[in-house]
Amino acid sequence: MPEGMIGQSPVRVDGRAKVTGTAHYASDMAVPNPAWAFLVTSAIARGRVTEINEAEARQVSGVLDILTHRNMRGEVQDAGFFAGGGYTSTTMRPLEDDRVHHDGEIVAMVLAETYEQAREGAYRLHVHYAEENPAAGFDAEGAELVSAKDASKGSFEDPAVGDADAALATAAVTVEADYATPTQHHNPIELFTTTASWENGRLTILEGSQYVHGLRNGIAAQLGMDPSLVRVESPFIGGAFGSRGSLTQRTALVAVAARRLRRPVKLVATRDQGFTIATYRAETRQHVKLGADKDGKLVALVHEGVEVTSRPDPYKVAGTQTTCRMYACPNIRTKVSILHADRNTPGFMRSPPEVPYMFALESAMDELAVKLGMDPIELRRVNDTMHEPIKGLPYTSRSLMQCFDRGAEAFGWKQRNPEPRSMRDGDWLVGVGCASTIYPTHLGAATARVTLTPNGHARVQTAAHDIGTGTYTVVAQAAAEGLGLPLEKVVVEMGDSELPPAPVSGGSNVTASVCTVVMQACEQIRARLAAAAQDGPLKGRDPATLRLVDGTLRAPDGTAEPIADAMGRASNGAIEISAENIPKGLPPDSLKKLYQGRQALGAGLEGKEVAMAAFGAEFVEVRVHSRTAEVRVPRLLGAFAAGRIVNPRTARSQLMGGLIWGMGGALLEATEIDQRRARYVNDNIAEYLIAVNADVPKVDVLFVEEEDRQVNPLGIKGLGELGNVGTNAAIANAVFHATGKRVRELPIRIESLL
Amino acid sequence: MTSQPDEGGLGRRGLLGVGAAAPFLAPRQAAAQPAPPSLPLKERPDMTLTLHINGKAHPLTLDPRVTLLDALREHLALTGAKKGCDQGQCGACTVLLDGHRVLSCLTLAAMAEGKEVTTIEGLAGADGALHPMQQAFLDHDAFQCGYCTPGQIMSAIGCVQEGHAEKPEQIREYMSGNLCRCAAYPNIVEAIQAAKPQMGRA
Repeated sequence: MPEGMIGQSPVRVDGRAKVTGTAHYASDMAVPNPAWAFLVTSAIARGRVTEINEAEARQVSGVLDILTHRNMRGEVQDAGFFAGGGYTSTTMRPLEDDRVHHDGEIVAMVLAETYEQAREGAYRLHVHYAEENPAAGFDAEGAELVSAKDASKGSFEDPAVGDADAALATAAVTVEADYATPTQHHNPIELFTTTASWENGRLTILEGSQYVHGLRNGIAAQLGMDPSLVRVESPFIGGAFGSRGSLTQRTALVAVAARRLRRPVKLVATRDQGFTIATYRAETRQHVKLGADKDGKLVALVHEGVEVTSRPDPYKVAGTQTTCRMYACPNIRTKVSILHADRNTPGFMRSPPEVPYMFALESAMDELAVKLGMDPIELRRVNDTMHEPIKGLPYTSRSLMQCFDRGAEAFGWKQRNPEPRSMRDGDWLVGVGCASTIYPTHLGAATARVTLTPNGHARVQTAAHDIGTGTYTVVAQAAAEGLGLPLEKVVVEMGDSELPPAPVSGGSNVTASVCTVVMQACEQIRARLAAAAQDGPLKGRDPATLRLVDGTLRAPDGTAEPIADAMGRASNGAIEISAENIPKGLPPDSLKKLYQGRQALGAGLEGKEVAMAAFGAEFVEVRVHSRTAEVRVPRLLGAFAAGRIVNPRTARSQLMGGLIWGMGGALLEATEIDQRRARYVNDNIAEYLIAVNADVPKVDVLFVEEEDRQVNPLGIKGLGELGNVGTNAAIANAVFHATGKRVRELPIRIESLL
Repeated sequence: MTSQPDEGGLGRRGLLGVGAAAPFLAPRQAAAQPAPPSLPLKERPDMTLTLHINGKAHPLTLDPRVTLLDALREHLALTGAKKGCDQGQCGACTVLLDGHRVLSCLTLAAMAEGKEVTTIEGLAGADGALHPMQQAFLDHDAFQCGYCTPGQIMSAIGCVQEGHAEKPEQIREYMSGNLCRCAAYPNIVEAIQAAKPQMGRA
C-alpha cells in the first residue's frame, strides 16, 4: 500500500545485499592490479623522527615505494579543520615534517605488490626518535588548559542566565559533585580503508564515508585539484558512529601513493592503527551544582566541563549547550574548557556532546531527588518546561513526561522500593534507575534528483549515506509515498559524490533533511503531471487537488488515470526533477556550503526562534553481586518521542542499538592510556570492551506518538543518537539504588564498587 | 600497542576458531628498538594449492603467508567474509570449514586445502532462494550496517548445527565471538530462533 508508506515497516531495501554478502563496502570493490599500502605509526607521543632506515624494508621482495616526511613534505596542503568550517579531522598534515604530535601518528607508508609484502616491509622499516616527555591528558605536566571561549576566538559563548551563584547560596537544597567520563573509540567493525586510483588526471577514492561531498572537496583542496576531478564512492559503510565524518590523514597519502606508482593503491589499516589515525570521544571532567527549593523546583544550575584535545586543535563538544536547556531554571552558569595534550585530535562520536554531559546532569538530578526524598520522575516533572531557559525559546514539541509516564508503566517503576540496598534476589542486589534522554533536531540543506520513467519506475539520486541507519529504505519510502508507487518500483542511489549533494550523515539529521527534499522533488513531478492532465479524463479538476496514489493520478472524486498515461501527456520520456532545500531557520548560505562539502547543520537547540529536540526516558534494572560486585543488566527500556517515525522497524533497531551502546558505555568501554607515555594500551577489540551478545539483556523500545510539523514539513526528528544519551546515568542511578554507592566516573566496573 | 607479532590467543570471549597463524600486527616499534641484523631478504617462493569453496575447486598460486580470509577476498573476489580486526577478535571473517565455523583471518589458506570451505556467497540456492538463516536475518532486522552480518550468519549456522541454539541464553553465549557494533544482538537471537526449525527441515 503505497499511500502512507511513511510510517510503515518494510524490511530494508538493501537487506538482501547485506545477507548475501553482495553489499560491497569500500575495500570489497575491485580495482585492477592494486599495489598495497601498509602504515607505520609512531612509537612515541611527542618528539621528532631522527632517522628512518629504509634499507632493510627496501630489500623485501615486492616493496615498491616508501612515503615518509622526507619525500612527502609539501605534498598535502592544509584543507582546514572540519570543526572550523574546513574538511580535515585535524590540522596536523600527514607526513609534513619530522615532528611527532601523538602516539600512533603516521610516520611512513610502505607500498608493495601484495598485502603480505607491504606488511613485511613496514615491519622492517626502522624509525628512530628523539622522545620528549608527553602530556597524556588530565593531571599531566605540560597539558595546557584554555577556556573554550578564548580558544574559539569569539565564536563560542558559554550559555548563562540569571545569577546561579547567588541562587545557590540561598537554595533550600543543593547538590554538588564531580563527574568523569573516559576516552572511547568508535570501533566500527569495518576497518579504516582507502583505495585510490587515477585515470587521466581524475582521482577516484573508495572509502567508507559519512560525507562523500566533504571528502571529495577536502581531498581536492589538499591536493590542489578541482573538486570535479575527484570522485568518492561509498555505497555501503561498515559502521561509522562519527568516525568517518571528516577527512583523516590517510586518504591523501593513499592518493599521492597511487599517483607516484601510476596504479591503484589499497590500504586496509589495522585495528590498532584505527585508534590513532582517526578520532575518538575525549575524556571529560565535569563539575555540577544544583540548587532547588523544597518542592524540587530548580533555582540554580552550574555545569562546568573540561575536555581533552590535541595540541593544535581546539576541538570541543560543549554539551553544556544541551544540559542548560534540559529543565526550567532561572539561574544558570556554564563553562567549558579544553585541555591541550599530546594526543590525536578527538572528533564526533555518537551523541558527542550529550553522552558525557548528560551523564553528569542526569546523575546529579538523581542525587538531588535522593536528597529531596522525591521520586526522580516527579523531580523531572516539576522542572519540565516548554521553553528552553537560556533565551526562552519555545520547544516546537517536547514529550519528555509522556515518555516517562509511558516508560514507567511498562517498566513497572511503581513496584520499586526507593530505599537503596532494599531490593535483593539471592546474592544479587537489585536496583532500578531512570534518566532523561535528549537529542537536538539538527537539519541541513540537501539536494536530490528524482526521475520517474514512463513505465512508472522511480529513481532517487542523492549523495546521502546509509551507515546502517536505514537511509536507503526510508528515502525509498519517502519517494514511494510522494509518487504513489509501490516500494519495489523505487530505486535509491546514494554514497557517490557524483550524485547531488546531501549533508554529512551526522547529527541525526539525514532522515529529516533528505526525505524533505526528496518529497519536494516528488511534489514537482506531481504538479507537472497534474498540470498536463487537463487534456484527459481528469479534465476540469483543480490540478492542486490531484494526487499520485496507487500508481494513478487521482482526483478527490475518485476519477483516476494510470500514471503511464499521465506521463504520456506530460512528457515524451522520463520526468527528471532536481530539488534543493534549505530548511526553515537555516542561513541562506547553507546550500552553498553544502555544494562546497562543508559541514553546515543547523536548527536544534541553538535556533533563533524555536528549540527543536527529540526526547525520551530510559529505565534500567541492574543486578550487582553482593560478593563479587559484578554488575549485570537484565533489562533496558526506553520510551522515545521523535516526531513522525518513518520506519518503526529500522528506528527501533537504532534505538535498541543506542540503548546497548549506552549500557556498554556505562559498564565496559574505555580506552586506557599509559599516563607516562601518552599511548593507548588496549587498542584492540578484545581489550577495548564492547558489548557482546551475552552482555545484552531484554531491550524494549517504545514510541510515544508526537506530531510536530514545525520541525519540518514531514514532522521528522532524528533519532540515531537519541538512544545512547540517557543510559549512562540511568545505569549509574540504578547502581546507586542497588548498592547505595554513587559512582561518578565511567565506566562502572567491579573496582568502582569495592 | 603491540610491537611484536601477537601470540594469536583467542579474544576475550572468543569461542571459535583455529588459533594458528597470527599475522604480523602493525609495526609500531618500541622507541629504542635496536635494528635487527640485516637479513638477505630473498624472493619467497609462492606455493600452489587448490581450495574447494562453495562446491567449486579453485587452483591458486599464493604467498604462503596469505590467510584464508585474504585468499577469499583478494584472490578469489569472494568479499562476503569481512576483515574487522585480522586477529580473531571480531568474528566478521567467520566461514565454515568442513561444516565447522572458523575464523578465516586466523587460518592460513594452506590450512584449508583438502577441506570444503563455505562462505556467505555459497548459502543461497541456485535460484536465488535465501538460506533460512539469511531470510531470518532479513525478516528480524538482525543487522544495521551489515558489515558483521556475513560472519554472524555463518556463525549462526554453525551455532545451530553444533546444537548450541537450544535456548536464547545459549545462543547469546555461543554467538558472543561475533561482535556487532550496531548492537543488533537481540534481533540476531530472534533470527536464529526463527531459522533453527527451518534448518532442521531443510
